[in-house]
Amino acid sequence: QKATTEVAYFAVPAGSLATALQRLQRETGVNIVYEARDVQQARVEAAEFRAAKVGDIIRQMTRRTPLHLEETQGVIILTPDTAPPAPSTPRKAAREVKGRITDARSGTALPGVTVMAKGTSTGTVTDAEGRYALVVPEEATTLVFSFMGYVAKEVTVGEQTSIDVALSEDNKLLNDVVVIGYGAVKKGEVTSSITNVEPREFNRGVVATPDQVLQGKVAGLNITRSGDPNATPTVVLRGASSLRTGQAQEPFYVIDGVPAASINLVAPDDIVSIDVLKDASATAIYGARAANGVIIITTRRQKPSAAVTYSGYVGVEQVSNTIDMLSGDQLRNYLEANGKSLSPADNDEGTNTDWQKEVMRTGISHNHTISYGGGSEKSAFNASVNYFKRQGVMKTSDSERIIGKINLDQKTLKDKLQLRFTLTNSLLTQHLISDLVYRNMFNHLPTTNIQNPDGTYKENLTRTQYYNPVALLNQNSEERKINTLLGNASAQLTILPNLTNTLSLSMQNESVKGGAYQSRESPVPNANNVTGLAAKGLARRYSLENTRKILENYLTYNPLNTTTHDLKLLVGYSWQEDKNGDGFQTDTRGFVSDQLGYNNLGLGNPNGVTPNYDAAIAGYSLGISTLRLISLYSRVNYGLLDRYFLQVSVRRDGSSAFGQNNRWGTFPAASLAWNIAREDFLAGQNKLTELKLRVGYGITGNSLGFDPLIATQRYSSVGTFYYNGSFIKAIGPTQNPNPDLKWESTAMLNVGLDFGLLGNRLSGTVEVYDKRTSDLIWNYPVSTTQYFVNTLYANVGEISNRGVELTLNATPVQTADFQWTVSGNLAHNVNKVEKLANDQFRLDQVYTAYPGGSGQSGISTQIVKTGYPIGQFFLPEYAGRDENGLSLFYKADGTTTGSPTLADYRYQGNAQPTLLYGVSNTVSWKRLDLNFFLRGVTGNKILNATLANQNIPAQSTANNLPVFSLNEPYNDNRANYYSDRYLESGAYLRLDNATLGYNLPIQNEYVKRARVYITTQNLFTLTKYRGIDPEMNLGGLTPGLDNNNFYPKTRSYVLGVNLEF
Amino acid sequence: TDLDAPIESEYTPSNFLTTPEQFIAASGPVYSQMRDEVAKAYWNLQELSTDEAVIVARNGNYYDGARYQQLSLHTWDPQNQFVRTAWEWGFSGISTCNRTLALFQNTADGDFKTQFTAELRTMRALYYYLMMDLYGNIPLVPEFGSTEQPTNATRQQVFEYIESELKAALPNLSATVSAQTYGRPTQGTAQALLAKLYLNAEVYIGQPRYTEAIAACNAIIKGKKYSLAANYLDVFAVENGPQVAEIIFAVPFDANLAQGNMMSRFALHQQMKDKFGLLFTPSNASLTWPEFYALYKEPTDTRNQQWLAGKQYLNDGRTPILIATTKKGLDSRYTGADGNAAISYHLELSDRLTFRDAAKFDVGNDELGKAQGTRNIKYYPDKSSTSRDQGNDLVLFRYADVLLMKAEAILRGGQDPDGATAKNLVNQIRTRAQVPALPTVDLNTLFEERSREMAWEGWRRNDLIRFGKWESVWGQGMKTNAETYRRIYPIPTTELTLNGQLKQNTGY
Repeated sequence: QKATTEVAYFAVPAGSLATALQRLQRETGVNIVYEARDVQQARVEAAEFRAAKVGDIIRQMTRRTPLHLEETQGVIILTPDTAPPAPSTPRKAAREVKGRITDARSGTALPGVTVMAKGTSTGTVTDAEGRYALVVPEEATTLVFSFMGYVAKEVTVGEQTSIDVALSEDNKLLNDVVVIGYGAVKKGEVTSSITNVEPREFNRGVVATPDQVLQGKVAGLNITRSGDPNATPTVVLRGASSLRTGQAQEPFYVIDGVPAASINLVAPDDIVSIDVLKDASATAIYGARAANGVIIITTRRQKPSAAVTYSGYVGVEQVSNTIDMLSGDQLRNYLEANGKSLSPADNDEGTNTDWQKEVMRTGISHNHTISYGGGSEKSAFNASVNYFKRQGVMKTSDSERIIGKINLDQKTLKDKLQLRFTLTNSLLTQHLISDLVYRNMFNHLPTTNIQNPDGTYKENLTRTQYYNPVALLNQNSEERKINTLLGNASAQLTILPNLTNTLSLSMQNESVKGGAYQSRESPVPNANNVTGLAAKGLARRYSLENTRKILENYLTYNPLNTTTHDLKLLVGYSWQEDKNGDGFQTDTRGFVSDQLGYNNLGLGNPNGVTPNYDAAIAGYSLGISTLRLISLYSRVNYGLLDRYFLQVSVRRDGSSAFGQNNRWGTFPAASLAWNIAREDFLAGQNKLTELKLRVGYGITGNSLGFDPLIATQRYSSVGTFYYNGSFIKAIGPTQNPNPDLKWESTAMLNVGLDFGLLGNRLSGTVEVYDKRTSDLIWNYPVSTTQYFVNTLYANVGEISNRGVELTLNATPVQTADFQWTVSGNLAHNVNKVEKLANDQFRLDQVYTAYPGGSGQSGISTQIVKTGYPIGQFFLPEYAGRDENGLSLFYKADGTTTGSPTLADYRYQGNAQPTLLYGVSNTVSWKRLDLNFFLRGVTGNKILNATLANQNIPAQSTANNLPVFSLNEPYNDNRANYYSDRYLESGAYLRLDNATLGYNLPIQNEYVKRARVYITTQNLFTLTKYRGIDPEMNLGGLTPGLDNNNFYPKTRSYVLGVNLEF
Repeated sequence: TDLDAPIESEYTPSNFLTTPEQFIAASGPVYSQMRDEVAKAYWNLQELSTDEAVIVARNGNYYDGARYQQLSLHTWDPQNQFVRTAWEWGFSGISTCNRTLALFQNTADGDFKTQFTAELRTMRALYYYLMMDLYGNIPLVPEFGSTEQPTNATRQQVFEYIESELKAALPNLSATVSAQTYGRPTQGTAQALLAKLYLNAEVYIGQPRYTEAIAACNAIIKGKKYSLAANYLDVFAVENGPQVAEIIFAVPFDANLAQGNMMSRFALHQQMKDKFGLLFTPSNASLTWPEFYALYKEPTDTRNQQWLAGKQYLNDGRTPILIATTKKGLDSRYTGADGNAAISYHLELSDRLTFRDAAKFDVGNDELGKAQGTRNIKYYPDKSSTSRDQGNDLVLFRYADVLLMKAEAILRGGQDPDGATAKNLVNQIRTRAQVPALPTVDLNTLFEERSREMAWEGWRRNDLIRFGKWESVWGQGMKTNAETYRRIYPIPTTELTLNGQLKQNTGY
């Protein structure tokens, strides 16, 4: 009996009865059904209830309104006490109508749906199988079907006796709450730019981390990734706003309320929703780490009732695109035609070795997630295990991951204290391969055999970086294990009904262990081009730990809550300490056998070669560095008349990384929203269901992505010197101090308009922003006449990003059996470097993007300069070939030259796209559904340096050529010079993802829901780009530089199943 | 609200520089800095710009935006990478000296402090000298920590500063020469540097100071701490070090512990890996011009051994270095029908260079192209090295140079109280080289002797300017530029951007 459900506390402000009933429904979860016109005029007085029954509350509130309360199958129905007006026409005989109500998307039955004959008090509720039977009074012509969380539907009865209805989920209601950091607000009250992404919108297929599921889904969020299973995607929100790379350009992640938690801990199957906070008025609550946006991930907690779900898939991954290289015969013919020949050492007559084929394979992936939960009102739990294994398309490369997660929630002290406990552990094992494999699988001559007659690998060691790719895979190995553990405990105490305190303690420990072994026969140099054969087996091991401790405590207070005023206050404190790089690495050499790999360093015979303690571990830094961050924050949310909303926040952040003079920064923000659709002058029309204008401005900081000792003078080993007859370590300053160093500061103005038309069949958002980042940190060149070393980290430059984003969701067709929805997003951003120098630090420009390559050391291809965007190409302009077939380039004065200098370089387009877009289509018909997702960019350029460096016809006796080079004159020794000849359009349109799903009609006491699907990723890509793939890493200071980008692009096919028990 | 996170694995001012051992370690950067570019960018500016050394392109390799070619043809500009690197290196060295001297103010007075201070001042004078020789009107920055940007001093002012610093430091420098002082400046080092300064005074400040040059040389000669090594090549061998009595000041290198000397890596042909038992494949870059190699005329001259020319054999002297190739692989211009026929080519380094593409300074990269050029192995390849680096200490001042400087100063009109003759001094060198004594010595014969003796040691540019030969034509007629403003290098563009007070040298 719902009417007897007891409510611990319920406060009702003076206002309309309708509002009060809605609030009661929302807070208690009890279904209350009534006709709007019956309560239209009714008012209630302010009142508070403690430990009251729902029925009593309703009776109390409706005591001045003559309403009758009855309860049917858990639904409370309010009807006018007075008898309905006598019919003016003779009553016709009542008829019975039967039917079944289902979920429009899944097709599953919906129990508990209220069915009312419109204009009467006659109604019923569907049973467990979604069936109903209702005797429809004669005067009624229409049935109303309504259910919490679904869009109500009206059907004219006519002569029908059977009416089946499919109800669609009400997105607006589902998205009811949006996470804004340290709390949540209703979607209608959001004042800033936040995009919420639901699991059903996620990218399917072989996806490992949460950022991958978002790719292309959020306007302005640009995610790029390579085919490499062990590479990290780059994420850039609303344009580059830092000259620094890595963490300095990535958004800040908050996972289940834990700021800065590792995204490697989250299995995509466990995610319930992702909120992307885009503008500064939304992100400023995270202060000095929020300049690149904040991504808040919420994962599954306890289910209301015990449930077990399983989801899993098996996938195959194939190479979809690579670089076409010459076969052995093609190369021999090409050389013959040009009067050249191979050295006998490079020519096994008749051999056509396809090196790419030899080192690549079809990769198999599989993923399994089991999750179960249950419990009672007082305590609940959820546990899940995820296993993921992905073979790379390159032989011997793979990654394997297990994530285990347990949540426990407990209420105590008369429900005033809510305790939450979460423990997550992820163990990731990677097998890595040498970068040399990629280069050599293309460049190695196809005219040689893999092995010599005696079974050893065939090598020609007279050239640098030239090795047998098959041997590289078999003679070198590296394994890395990354174990990440996150524990979080939080306690939420309700001090007063409208005042709560939340305390959250987290600790994350990341432990990285690795080992690499290079076998005795491997000639790969281990240092400075010295043949690896000299080492006679080289073993390396490393181990390091990164630890993070976080304490958060915040108070939320809701002093005013009436229909007119709604005021919420938040005050908090946070303390965080990161201790990174606690570990070591070492190596030894000289093994008599390869049998044990790197497992026993003690068996090496280093013979006087000192171990290398300083070798870099890709992706990690060694040497303990401790960063401490302390913050105070506060936020006020005020809503007036449910139409005008104001949010003001301020955060004060302190970081130990910055100079003594600038350790604390303040980050304020304010935003306003006007819910126009709720204004009286728009009342009564039904075309415009939603219209909201938002304006926000805020300042955020960027304090991530560098060493905590960045502002300090440091002494390090600077080589050795000869003292008293032996070499000892010289210790000298390696970094200039800058006590004034502070964060990069980003100010952003954002104006947004949310709209919904035709009952939200068409809805969308338009946003315009102006983002200005100042105090850019850059390692400025300084004169060694005054400073210890020739660079100094200082805050000088400015970058601006301005853009427009459009998001549209439409449901063009919606019937009981067939539904088609389209959602799309479009983003346009203009990036510009506004300033690079000031009075103290002078810098006209930074030449950057040095692809290197044969005879092209020290040649830059991009420029960072005031007035131009990051990724501005600065290159010679190609002028065709002269009469001898040699490439020519324009000089500054318009004449041509064969050796262009910096003075001849021209500005030639940039790497940042003018448009980023994504379009998702979902078509469902009965139990079948098809989703396909297209994604692309336009307006950007890519420098195909990979092609330039391969296109050296004159070196084809030493390195294989791409098929492209067959049309190049052999004697053009300038063919590879970087120029606009290799600057190509980077525009592409990709069918990123297509999924066909089927909801099995199995429904019994064992299985609640079952679904199978097939997905293909990267089915096709439309592009004119000649390289492996136009989807280039767009992060960093040198976007759009395709240099040695050899990892093949892949396509995958996945067969998956979701089960709920 | 405590933001002071602990610093646990790095030295910072909060935990470093309290004990004498720490001070000694802190003086190390002054010396390790010297190693960084003395055999690379600095050496390139002093040698690749002369008739003595050249790096040509080989089918595009080593073209690198014409940075080597610019040095050879005297067409460099202020953006040239070596112009920039050498400047940053030198002034970083000066700053390191200034900063270390400032640190030493904090140590207790005593012999340790007195001698260390003198050594650091001498090293600073040496860095200044190297910079002044390259760039002329360089800024003087005597104190560390001054925030004011320095302006150019005149070459004369820098000259006087170096002179006064050396004179001030001299009495407190070590007078003994031993393994304990090796690698650090002694009184001999300061005198040798003074001799260089005075010998070039006419170039630097337009005044002859030859008598003072002789006096500085005499201080070394009469101190009898140094002598000519019996075997010329021993001075530069992998094992060179404190035991070589000819070395006055060397920059110590070690293949593993103190890297930065890669002379063999640049000079050797790829196929010489086996000849010298090397673990790496050499880069086949630096050569000498035929005109310079032609100066080695006497077959008995032991200094001829520093060159690799003609047909090449393994170290047994008998086994030819053979390269398996084809006729077209040997010479890419070959057009005969049997171009693919396998042949075995006996490596022969050709003295004369044949440019296939003169504009690109390119001699081709087929076997004949690769074999172009006479190579220098004065700093003999280090077969014990497990890297591309080698352990030969780079000799900056040696006794033979002192004898030649004195002889030259006498010929240029300096007065020697000891009455030595140029002929006698030069013939000491010739005797050691096992060539007959010269009957007479004039500036011309002295120049030729100096050329043979001092090849590859980083003094060629200095000598050519002093002898008025800097504007000559060389390089098989390719180097013709005679612009006299190129006697000093330009201040790098990047430095002018950083310091608006600096004025570019005339002509650039």
